[in-house]
Amino acid sequence: MKHLPKHLRPRWRYVAVEIETWPDVDLGRRAFQRALWYAAGNLIGDAGSADADLTLLSFAHDDGVGEAVIKVRHGHVDDARAAITCVSEVDGDPVGIRVRGISGTVRACEERYMGRAGANSTQRDVAFRDAERPAVVREDACDVWAESGYVGAAAFDIE
Amino acid sequence: MYEAVHAHPDGDATVARHAATAARYGYDGIVVRTRDALPPAGGDAGNEAGEDGEPSGEAAALREAHGVDVVDAVEIDADDATSASGAVGNYRPERTVVCLVGGDDGLNRFAVEEPRVDVLARPMDGPGDFNHVLAKAARDNGVHVEFDLGPLLRASGGKRVRALSDLRKLREIVTYYDAPHVVSANPRSHLELRAPRELVAAAEAVGFDPEWIRGGLRAWESIAARNRERRSEAFIEPGVRRGRYEEDG
Repeated sequence: MKHLPKHLRPRWRYVAVEIETWPDVDLGRRAFQRALWYAAGNLIGDAGSADADLTLLSFAHDDGVGEAVIKVRHGHVDDARAAITCVSEVDGDPVGIRVRGISGTVRACEERYMGRAGANSTQRDVAFRDAERPAVVREDACDVWAESGYVGAAAFDIE
Repeated sequence: MYEAVHAHPDGDATVARHAATAARYGYDGIVVRTRDALPPAGGDAGNEAGEDGEPSGEAAALREAHGVDVVDAVEIDADDATSASGAVGNYRPERTVVCLVGGDDGLNRFAVEEPRVDVLARPMDGPGDFNHVLAKAARDNGVHVEFDLGPLLRASGGKRVRALSDLRKLREIVTYYDAPHVVSANPRSHLELRAPRELVAAAEAVGFDPEWIRGGLRAWESIAARNRERRSEAFIEPGVRRGRYEEDG
């Protein structure tokens, strides 16, 4: 179909989002998109979701950290932010989520806010609460495997 | 703005991890609700602790490392008003912020009538309810009523609907009587923590006034500042403090 004249094209905002999970979680793009739309449907309803759009444009997740760009219709950024905040778990795995920033173009969004997932994580044993435990260490963060699950610690705790 | 967190062993992240995440998210400080997670400020338990009202060694080190204030608090979860009263008496002298978990008519009533309690936490949980009598008492005694945004962020379905309608009822009563309030998402790990701007946006979507939510997040800070001043050695009673005499005589 012939594309729309410029003044009729919808205007978009691109929301850069930072994602954090436990290190053993394998988070997929489709699962995250589903969780996002589900959260929006529950909070702002079908009508609000249709307005906000909330399509994932890019998604990357590895070793417990990730980032994504979400397309949002101009003028509905507040609703979108509220919906994004309400994504608390994906397929039963808890996720931490935070909006890094909002841009008017994909390129500006990527240049300004993406590609920060720098340091690689390493797996080693650390001393935590008077015991040697296996842990995944990434910069200052350190997820320690305790009896029944991970405990989020920081470099401060294992010194 | 401050957030009040549940730290390990009550939650899944240590105080240090909460502090690091909160600093990244733009908070000015955290209030640690879990008693076992942080030594009390100026307490007798740790010899590393500073003077009365000064943060303990661990809190000071975290502040140094991450640039966020770490406030020691306690969350009293008692079965009835009698045992709650004993616990308040025990913890008031040693903790900077004292929260009492409500969720029961008797406990809610006790908390708002007790000026030594700083925060009535989660008053609408379970069978608990709130009314104009409690709101007036909370205002007169300076007890902050907590608005728990946890269910808004993490629950779904009927549970969330009930929690939101409770929050609305609480909001209408508390704003009418101008009782003091605090806002928190009750995060149990760094993954449940949300940045202040995100919390405001989510609360706005369910009918809260954004500035009112920000006020609720800032209220933790003023509670901590007031109690630290009261616990400092220079403080005698409201309006009277020990200082230097004027030189000229």
